[in-house]
Formats: sequence, structure tokens, C-alpha cells
Amino acid sequence: MPITLRLRRRPTVPLEAEVLSPDALADRSLAEIRALTVYHGKRQLPLGEFFDVDVEGERGDDLVLHGELTKVRWIGRAMTRGSVTVHGPVGMHLGAHMAGGRIEVHGMAGDWIGAEMKGGLIHVHGDAGGQIGAAYRGSPRGMTDGTILIDGSAGLEVGMRMRRGTIVIGGPAKSFVGLQMKGGTIVLLGGAELRAGAWMNRGTIISIEPLPILPTFAPATRVNPGFVGLLARYLHPFGIRLPHAPEEGDYRLYSGDFSVPGKGELLVWRPAAEGVASRESVGGGI
Amino acid sequence: MMRITGGRVYDPANGIDGAVKELRIDDHGRFVDAIEGGRTIDATGMIVFPGGVDVHTHVAGGAINFARAMTPEDHRRTQAFIRTKNRRSGLGGMAPTTFATGYLYAGMGWTTVNEAAVPVLSARHTHEELGDIPIVDKSTLALMANNEILLDQLEAGEYERARSVVAWYIWAAKAYGVKAVNPGGVAAWKWGHDAKQLTSPISGYDTLTPGRIITQLARICDDLGLPHPMHLHCNNLGAPGNIATTLDTLRHLEGSRAHIAHSQYHAYGGDGWDSIRSASRQLADYFNAHPGLTTDAGAVLFGDTVTITADGPWQHLLYKLTGRKWGNLDVENETGCGIVPYTYRPSNLVNAVQWATGLELLLLIRDPFQAFLSTDHPNGGCFWRYPEIIKLLMCADFRNECMAKLPEAIRRRIVLPEIDREYTLYEIAASMSAGPARALGLSKKGNLGIGCDADLVIYDADDDAARMFSRPRYVIKGGEIVIEDGEIRETPQGREFLVRPPCDPDIDAFMRPLFEDRYTMSFENYPVEIERIEHADVRPCAPAP
Amino acid sequence: MGGKVTCTLGEVKQKADFIVYWGGNPAECHPRHFTKYTIMRKSKFLPNGRKDRTMVLVDIRETKSAKAADVFLQVRPGKDFELLTILRALIKDQPVDNDRIPETGLTRDVLDDLIRRMKAAKFGCMFFGMGLSMTCGKHMNSAALLTLVAELNAFTKFVAMPMRGHGNVTGADVIMRWQTGYPFGITFNRGYPRYNPGEFSTVDVLVRGDCDAAFIIGADPGGTMPQPAIDHLKRIPTIVLDPHITFTSRLARVHITTAPQGIAAPGTAYRMDELPLPLKPALKSPYPTDEDVVRRINAALDAKPFWLPEDGRPRMLTAQV
Repeated sequence: MPITLRLRRRPTVPLEAEVLSPDALADRSLAEIRALTVYHGKRQLPLGEFFDVDVEGERGDDLVLHGELTKVRWIGRAMTRGSVTVHGPVGMHLGAHMAGGRIEVHGMAGDWIGAEMKGGLIHVHGDAGGQIGAAYRGSPRGMTDGTILIDGSAGLEVGMRMRRGTIVIGGPAKSFVGLQMKGGTIVLLGGAELRAGAWMNRGTIISIEPLPILPTFAPATRVNPGFVGLLARYLHPFGIRLPHAPEEGDYRLYSGDFSVPGKGELLVWRPAAEGVASRESVGGGI
Repeated sequence: MMRITGGRVYDPANGIDGAVKELRIDDHGRFVDAIEGGRTIDATGMIVFPGGVDVHTHVAGGAINFARAMTPEDHRRTQAFIRTKNRRSGLGGMAPTTFATGYLYAGMGWTTVNEAAVPVLSARHTHEELGDIPIVDKSTLALMANNEILLDQLEAGEYERARSVVAWYIWAAKAYGVKAVNPGGVAAWKWGHDAKQLTSPISGYDTLTPGRIITQLARICDDLGLPHPMHLHCNNLGAPGNIATTLDTLRHLEGSRAHIAHSQYHAYGGDGWDSIRSASRQLADYFNAHPGLTTDAGAVLFGDTVTITADGPWQHLLYKLTGRKWGNLDVENETGCGIVPYTYRPSNLVNAVQWATGLELLLLIRDPFQAFLSTDHPNGGCFWRYPEIIKLLMCADFRNECMAKLPEAIRRRIVLPEIDREYTLYEIAASMSAGPARALGLSKKGNLGIGCDADLVIYDADDDAARMFSRPRYVIKGGEIVIEDGEIRETPQGREFLVRPPCDPDIDAFMRPLFEDRYTMSFENYPVEIERIEHADVRPCAPAP
Repeated sequence: MGGKVTCTLGEVKQKADFIVYWGGNPAECHPRHFTKYTIMRKSKFLPNGRKDRTMVLVDIRETKSAKAADVFLQVRPGKDFELLTILRALIKDQPVDNDRIPETGLTRDVLDDLIRRMKAAKFGCMFFGMGLSMTCGKHMNSAALLTLVAELNAFTKFVAMPMRGHGNVTGADVIMRWQTGYPFGITFNRGYPRYNPGEFSTVDVLVRGDCDAAFIIGADPGGTMPQPAIDHLKRIPTIVLDPHITFTSRLARVHITTAPQGIAAPGTAYRMDELPLPLKPALKSPYPTDEDVVRRINAALDAKPFWLPEDGRPRMLTAQV
């Protein structure tokens, strides 16, 4: 049975609670869990001050959190196993550095989701902040494996310096998607603002909507790469539909960013039904 | 007052090699013959050393501060010093913060450090940082060998004038001595060039060669009677085959005192990166034949670090080789510096040669009063890793174990496998304390004799030298217990050593117009006021008659 | 990954034969820059002064500085990042879609000419102002310029320097670095410094309402920050140390009047190139210095119970905390 934590007292300043992770809670008694330290601003307080903790029957390594957790940071940080399910919005650094297990949020999430993560799955059923799967400032690489799925919109610098793994953004993303990307795949179902793929070295950004392309990418060629089919099959169970059948359309491939010079790929979907006249607009000017 | 009884004392400055001896400290923090009362530390079964002295490190000033800003990723994976009621917070790592620098040095028993590269123009900044480094005593060396006002005097053959210029700069910087980095090469770098030949004129000059700068500057340091001789970073740092330059440099120094900085980086044979090999034997032979010369190893340890040097051309090359971050800061009229994070890997043949060369020099130079422990922090490795080097020096088996992990091809390029010397505790004490203190001319440091500063470190005897030297039982600084059982007890403010060499009274009038032409700061604002130095200790010079 | 290649202003004064101002208006905002440090200076290496130096101005509009420039490049607003990225590709002879260059407001010919001049320079220097660092793209615009300059060093000597605003901003940045390892955007809530711009930077903390008190020295956020940040300052106890009445002092609960730095209080200021300059007070002030006030507050705090657990042993950081 899962360990259930309900927010009892709303934090007035950020509450840093990296103990909200299966690794930190699974092997402890209820009393020990309630006594774990959280940081309410500069005050070190027991977890029990903020959360009612309950468990029915035998404990597994699954957590369920309830409440308005917008100010609660570092949920699922560096977790390696089990699951965290959140009913409500969460704050920054959700699943940062995580290596395994699953996080599911029924609500919005803040910046730095899955930053520098090594494995596992994060699924946010709502809008998200920036720097998803990114490298922290100065770090050479962001996420190195795992999957991050955002149903809603995303902020700046999604997948900044990511090395491997998959990020899917359901809604619109802001600028600098895949900034300095080194590998892995970003799927944009709702397009992105400016400068997608800026300074990318390697890796792939797939956009289903038209995308402004930087002038330092090579002009488009038409492709229908086989790996998109594989990716579509991987994402299908999550309810994500990635078009790839040749009769539906094809992808425009732009490679770059030549300013690096890099060998990354931007793939922009163009449905077959679209006429020649509008072709120019796909991936055209900003 | 304090007495330390029962410990085995290693005090090379007084030839004491492991004798059990009682040490007595008075209320002024000095060793004395006799005291009444006070605390007694029973050091029976323990080992007593003079506090460590780092002759060459980079812990304060614009360059290391630039490095700190460039490496936030390193600050997040390091030792955090948490604020307590009487201790400031800080971070360790490749470029530790100021408070942490003091805690880390003291934590392993080092009590005096020499910041080896200070641009006079930003000396005020360096001293402000040093003021925030607790516990240890400090000294600084002013960068001179690319100072264009000085070079112009040398080019014109105005030796007397040049000597006064140097003296003026030392006092302006409130420095303790003179550092020469890649003489002429940094000045050339400001045009994107380098100075690799000691006998070719440098960029921007008609006749002045690096060789002449070296000879003249060494003579100036001697004539001014500085306690520490010219501290020289030779030309051609890090380049395959640079042993020729280094030996040529040493010949230019015949007749003068000199300290050669981080000689590991200057002892390579071969003629390219593919053929680089250790030339430590040639360099060590020279030192063994010239007992007046001193050097520090600049040893390399495998792992991550950040390289910082006034050698801008080398740093640009390193940036191109690594493709990582690069910082560069040229300082008007005086010097420059480059900063590149770097990882030394055992699988990299060049790095493996560097690792071996540093150890070879320490092992092949026979007199530990000539070759000192250093990593040129942070260039070859961080200072808090010194205990690892001590273990490598003291234990040939451990050395062989480490060597076994290196690529097979390394064996033809190094001489380390042929060396079976193991340092004794006495020799370690000489190389980490008594030797560097003597080279620095700090007569009351690295010495447990009567009248000297009561800076000492007490270790629990341990077969694992790395463990023993990284966790002293007690560290005593100026008679005060600062570390006990690995915990920081007190954080007193150390002193700063400096000198006021004699100079021509008219030198201000001479400098002013040149200064106003070259610099962008007013002449009056340039010298650091003595009041700005916390606990200044002005040491005497012994100028030539 | 780029980096920062810079120098002190004296190097520019002595040697820079090619000077670019990007997103700044020195003629009006830093009026002595031309005469003290750059184009008007004569030096040993550039004896003819203005004649020996080339100046390029890159800006979105033709300011007074354009009159001083040999070349004025009018970049379209919000296109600095694209332009810098294109230049990074072109200096390395990488392909760029020529039809797309005009989006930046400039043509391929103009850029080729700029690159030819940059590479032919003996010593180039790019100054960049808030027109670059505070517009669309923000810190990435500065990063783009710094990277371009670093890469130009494969061809010739080139340096970059930010044109910083008023006050001792650089000094705060320098000291935070030596004491904490980080320049700004720092939290001490766990008893040691941690860094994350966007999370801990003042404006973000205020906008999100993440703090329950504010202590402000040498700044006037009430005059410069967005409205949600100002609203939060009004909600919480805000304490201001300032010699003057400011927007912030008006909304603060407590305003302690202090002696003006450099005029009546001594200290060190760090210039935009990070050179330290002594401040020698010319006047006496009846008010205490900022330092006095902070020391007295610290002493009062020492009398209160210590806010961290006593067991303050150093520990290893992993995964950010």
C-alpha cells in the first residue's frame, strides 16, 4: 500500500523537501517519517509539521501526495525506485537527478523538472515551467536518460544540454528548446516560440507544428525516418500520437546548428493534405 | 601557554629526526625553553611536524575568483562548510571559497601559504580576499616579468632604474617577493603571440629577449635583498621538449638565487604530443649539481581541476584541446591570466607522463630542502589532495599499484618504475615545511626551534600516509589549537608578510608620467595602503651593499 | 562551451584597434568612455589615436553614438541572438542560409565586411550593454557575444566586456564570488551557499512571493523591478539602507539613512573590468556607514538563539543539496 501524505499547513516560503521520495521514506516507520527534516526557508522542521502521513497495511515504495504543493520543491529528487503520485500542483525541481521509478503529477509543475535526471519516468498532466530535463547552470550536461512527458505547455530552455532520453511537450513551449543539446529526443506536439535547437550539437527535435528555424540550420530536405515510427510506438501507451506513416505526410529535416558547428536534427511534420502554396510557410521565416 | 609531551618530533630545520622531545609554547605563540603551567597535550605515540608551508599556490585574487565564477557545477559536488556560531560558511572543491580555503589548509596541518601570482594593479583585491582566509599566515608575489614599464627599462639597459621600478612595484602591491611568469611571453600574448625562444626578441621590442629578462630580474631580486629569490615560471610551459628551454633558463640563472615554480610542467622531452616523455632525470641532475636552487613539484593528480595561469597562450591551446570553458583576463601593462577547467585522466598518455614526472622530480632531486610539495594549486590538482602525494612519495608499493593502472605504453616514457626511493617522515617534513619556509626566507616558519612561531601539527601514527596526513589529531597555529580531532576549534586571523625594498627616492617622479600614460587608474590610487592589510608583518630585506 | 575572454580597460586604451559597442550608447550613457579608454585615445601602439582605431556600433536605433562610429549596424529588435549566432557560423566558414540573413536587418555583404574587419584587427574588443543583455534572449544574448569573442581568438586577439550600470554592482559580484563561489542568485537557507539564478535571484524571489522579509542596500528595486515584485516588497517587512529617499525607501517599513559611499564613507569599488579602486571620503557625514549599520545588526542578531543546528560539521554535497 502506498504512503499517503496530505498537506496540512501551507508553507509561506519555499519548502525544500527532498525527503518526499520513495528512497527516503520506504524503510522508515511512520514516526521516523514524520521526524524527517524539511527546510521551510531557513527553518529546519519535521515533515510532520506540514504533512499528515498515513499508510494502510503493508508498505511498498509508492508515495501519494495531496495538496497545493506549489511551494514544495525537490519532490522525488534523486529517487531510484517506486513511484510518487501527486494530486495537486508542485514546485521546482520535481524529480531532479532521479535515476529510476515514476512520478506522476495531476496538476502543474514548476521549473527544472527532471533536471540532470539519469533514468525513470516523469509525467505531468498539466502545464510546466522551464529548464525541463536541463543542465543546472554551468553543468556540462542535462538529463542523460529517462522520459519526461508534459501534457500542457512548457517554459524556456526545455532539454538544455540534454545528452540522452526523451522529452515530450504536449502544449506550446517557449524559446530555446534543445539549447546546446548533445543528444536525445525532444518532441513538440504544440510547437515552440523562437530559437528551437539553438547551438545544438547532436540530438533530435521533432515538431508536429510549424517551427521558426534559425538561419544557421541547413535548408530542409524531405524525410520519413524509421526511428520516428519506433518512437511513436514507445509513446503510444501514454496516449501520445506521433504521425509517421508516409501517406499521412512527411518530415522536413533541418540539420545544424552550424554556428557550433553541430550535427543536430530538427524534424518538422508536414501533413500530406497541405497544399504547395503553404509549403513555403513551414519552417520559413520567424 | 602549552606543552606538548611524548611525541616523536620531526624538525628538519634543527636536524631532529623522530626524537621524543617536549615542546613549550608561551603566550605570544612562540616556542620557548621553559614555561610555568598551561595546558599539556600528551602526544605519546604521535608524530609532531612543523606546520606545512605552501610555497606556491593560487588561493586569492582576480584569477582564482574568475575560476570560482566559471565552475558552479563543481561547487555543487563538493565539501560544504556549514555556518556555525563562530565559523563562516563556504565551499571546497577545485577553487575553494576564501573561508573554506583557510579551513581546508589548516584542516590538513598547513599554516602558511604563499599566493604566487598577484598583478600589482589588482593587489588590493588579492589582499581583501586574503583578509577573508582565516587561520593561515600569508604572503604574496607580485607579477613582474611582463610589466611593460620594467621591460622598457631593461630594453634600454637602465639596470639601476629597473631595480627601483621593481622595488616600487613590490611596495605598491604590499607583496613579499617577485614572480616571473613566462618572461616576455605574456606581453606577446596580448598580441596573440608567445615567446618560446629565450634568445629571440619578444613582440613589441627590438632587442629584449626572455633570457635577458630572466637574468636581470633574478639579479634585481638578489640586489634588493628580498628574503625570497625570484620565483620563476619558465617559458614554454607544458610543451613537449621544453626541457631544452628549462635547462637553458637555468643556465641564464647561474650566479643568482632562484626558485623554479612547478617544475613538472617544464620537464618534458619528445618533439610533439605523440612523443612526449619525461625528462625529469635531466632536470633533477641539474638541481643535484646546483644545491642553491630550489623548486616545487607542481605535481599532477588524476581527476578534475581548473587550470589557472598567467600563461595565456598555453590556456588558449588547452581550451582548443578540451573544447570546454575558457576564461582569459589580460591586465594592463602587467600581466594576464587564463582559466580552463581540465580533467587529468590516467588513460591519457600526456596526463600519465605529467603524473609520473612530478613524482620523479620529487624522488630524483636528492635534497628535500630543494624540492617541495606542490600541485601548483589548482593547476595540477587541488591543495587538499597533498596527502595523496605524500603517500605516493612514502610508499613505493602504492606507486607501483597506481602505475599498473596506466596504459602500457607509458613505461617507455617515464623513469618512475626505476625509482625505489621512499620518503622518510623527516624528508616529508623538509619537503612540506622546513624546505619551503627556508626558500621563502621565513626564518620563524617550518621550524620548531626556540623563538620560532608555534605552528605545528600532530598526527596519530598510521601506516596509511594519506589517511594520517589528511586528518591530523591537532593543528596548532601561533600557539592556539585550531583543529582538534578533525574539528575546527578556532579561526584566528593570520598575518600577512610583506617587504619594503630600498628604492631611489625620485622613483615616484619617474613613474608618474609613465603610469598616467599606460594605466587607467590614478597614480595615487594605485599603491595599496599598508592600513588595508590585516595584521601586516613587514620583513626585513638585506640589500647588497 | 565558450567562456569569457576579457581584459582591463588599460589594455583597450593601449592596444585595441577595433572596438565594437553592442546594444549600448556610450556617447550618452558612459560619456567619458571614448576619451578615457577607447577611440579617442592615443597610445604607444596607436599613436594616431582615432585614426588608428575602427569603431563599430550595433544597435536597434541610430543613437548619438552612431555619429562616432565608422560603421553603424542597425540590428532588428530582438534579433541580436540570431545575428551573433550567424556570425559564429560565418567566422568558421560554415554555411548560413543567405535568404534568412535579412531578418536580422543586415545583409550578407555587410556581415562579410564586418568579419573581414574583425579578423584583420590586431586587437579587437566588444563592449556590450543592456540593449543586448536585457532584451529578448537575455543571458543567452550575452553568452552568444562572449562565445563569438572566444572563438574569434582562433584568428586574432579579441576580448569582451560588459558595460555595467551605476553603483558598485561589480564589487558585490566579486565579493560574493570569493565568499560563496557564486556571483548572485544565492541562498544560505541551509547554512552554506547554493546558487540558482531564476530561483534565488531577487526579482524572481519577489515575484513568486518566496520571501517574508527584505533587506536592501545600495539598490532601488522599487524603481526598476516589475509590479508584482514591488507589490511583494510592500506586503513584507522591507528594510532599506540608503543615503537618499528612493522609490524603495518610500515603500519600506524601515529606512535607515546611511553615509554615501565614496563621498562620506570609505571602502573599495570595483570598476566594470573588476579593478579595485579605493574610495577616499571627501566629506564627513552625520550618518553611519552601511558597514556600521550591518555590523550593529549582526551584533544584535548574535544575541538571539542561533538559527542552525549546532552540529555544523562539513558535509559532501551531491545532487544539488
